Amino acid sequence: MTSPTKNPAQRRFFWRFAIAMLLYVLLLVPAVWGFVHYHPTGVLAYGLAVLPALPILGMLVVVGLYLAEEKDEFVRNMQIQSLLGGIGGTLAVVSVWGFLENFTQVRHLDLFLVYPLFWVFVGISTVVVRLRYR
Amino acid sequence: MKNRLRVLRAERDWSQADLAQRLEVSRQSVNAIETGKFDPSLPLAFKLARLFEMTIEGIFTDDSKG
Repeated sequence: MTSPTKNPAQRRFFWRFAIAMLLYVLLLVPAVWGFVHYHPTGVLAYGLAVLPALPILGMLVVVGLYLAEEKDEFVRNMQIQSLLGGIGGTLAVVSVWGFLENFTQVRHLDLFLVYPLFWVFVGISTVVVRLRYR
Repeated sequence: MKNRLRVLRAERDWSQADLAQRLEVSRQSVNAIETGKFDPSLPLAFKLARLFEMTIEGIFTDDSKG
């Protein structure tokens, strides 16, 4: 959301987010490897499949912690607007895409792409919000 | 919301960064408040008032007042 060295809350956000990203990679690799080599079934398959999603949930918690810890109300306000832009943009795209999938021949959008799509829209919103308050 | 922050700063020869440091906020915040793009919360408005030893009404103008 912001550069890593602004204030203590932003620095904590950066490091927590980076750790969650690292955990994501560390859990994604064994999950893929496990499915390719061992073809797990039942509860084990469900557990292994969900494993890489856990750090993503962690990232959402990290965002919530940041908003709770950010003491600069103007900066917090800008971040909230950026996140709302991200949520709105993502919901707009997936809603339209969902109907396109139902009624036309467009390619299926894998659900795991929704999360990175959200951050793309947060990035775009951040630029727009910053320009507004420049 | 209109305000007299720029004048009050100038009287004390403070930069936006100086005021930001005293308020413990970012310089961006001071700029946004000063230019009327962002209205501060009551706690921050009181902090400003204490800093300039004035009332909140002495710093900010109520635009909706007829």
